[in-house]
Amino acid sequence: MATSLSIFLAFHVIIGVTGVFLFGGVSLGLLKKKISVKMLKLFSLGGLISYLTAWITGGHYYVVHYGVKVKPIIKAGNMPWAHSIVMEAKEHLFLFLPFLAFMSMASIWLLKEDLNEMPKFKNAVMLISLAAFIIGVLMALGGIIISGAATI
Amino acid sequence: MTACGAFDIIISMNWNLFLVSMHIIGVILGTGGATFAEIFYLKAKRDGVFEPLEVDYLKLSYFVLRTGLFLLVLSGFGLLLSLRFHEFGAPLLGVKLWAKLLIVLIIILNAFLIQARKMPMWLGSSLSITSWYTATILGLWRGIPYSFGQIMIFYLLSVMLVAYILHIIDKRILKSVTIKK
Repeated sequence: MATSLSIFLAFHVIIGVTGVFLFGGVSLGLLKKKISVKMLKLFSLGGLISYLTAWITGGHYYVVHYGVKVKPIIKAGNMPWAHSIVMEAKEHLFLFLPFLAFMSMASIWLLKEDLNEMPKFKNAVMLISLAAFIIGVLMALGGIIISGAATI
Repeated sequence: MTACGAFDIIISMNWNLFLVSMHIIGVILGTGGATFAEIFYLKAKRDGVFEPLEVDYLKLSYFVLRTGLFLLVLSGFGLLLSLRFHEFGAPLLGVKLWAKLLIVLIIILNAFLIQARKMPMWLGSSLSITSWYTATILGLWRGIPYSFGQIMIFYLLSVMLVAYILHIIDKRILKSVTIKK
């Protein structure tokens, strides 16, 4: 793998995991009775930027390297399902992430402290952030399976 | 070996050393944070009132624990990337890694449920402390001879045992406070 692609892949993973953590923090923060708006704004914006960056770097790696070199290796190996199920699921689920992250970030930035007065809406934003977190976790676990299938 | 090749190896070794160091620091902070969170919690609840200073100590312990978790997971993924770059994929599909991943997920889920007040504290405390120690032991143990199922059964039994031990400690502390009063 070329050095530039290794950097893209490393960036995709590290920034993606950071995004997962930030949205975990947003979900936890929204569970509190009195929210810390400053922390939530910072985490949700950071999370959105992280997911967008992971999206772009991952997409570039997929188009330039994965589809051409890694995919045929996995499909010819012992675990073809690592591509046909895990990677396919990753590709489609990944589409949701920046949009969920944007909805969470926009709600927090626009409503700020008013979220405290709207418990039902706050709960809905928490669920959106939680979805962004859970999908992010599944992405990360899927990535480990795919990397394992490609190199075993 | 060319000078460039030797340079690449040195960079790679230093990078690996950095990641392993981060991983170990994460484990220390996480396991230490979980231990002290439990000690402070037991100490704080013995008179039934959580004083502001006690709450501060608890918050600080949780902050240390979460910082440890962040370092641990981030450096862990860095180490997995290193395996991927060296085309050494077997550990990525190994029992030890997936047991550790599941336990880290349980730690995170437990934190959510405690925050949402959907987890009884006797179980939440036990899950937190047992999970951190199990992840540490799994990380230290080279060549684990057990299957994924065996590790998980042992882990669940440990959670129950630790919950019972914490219950005994709790009762003894409460009893000693009542006698003093």
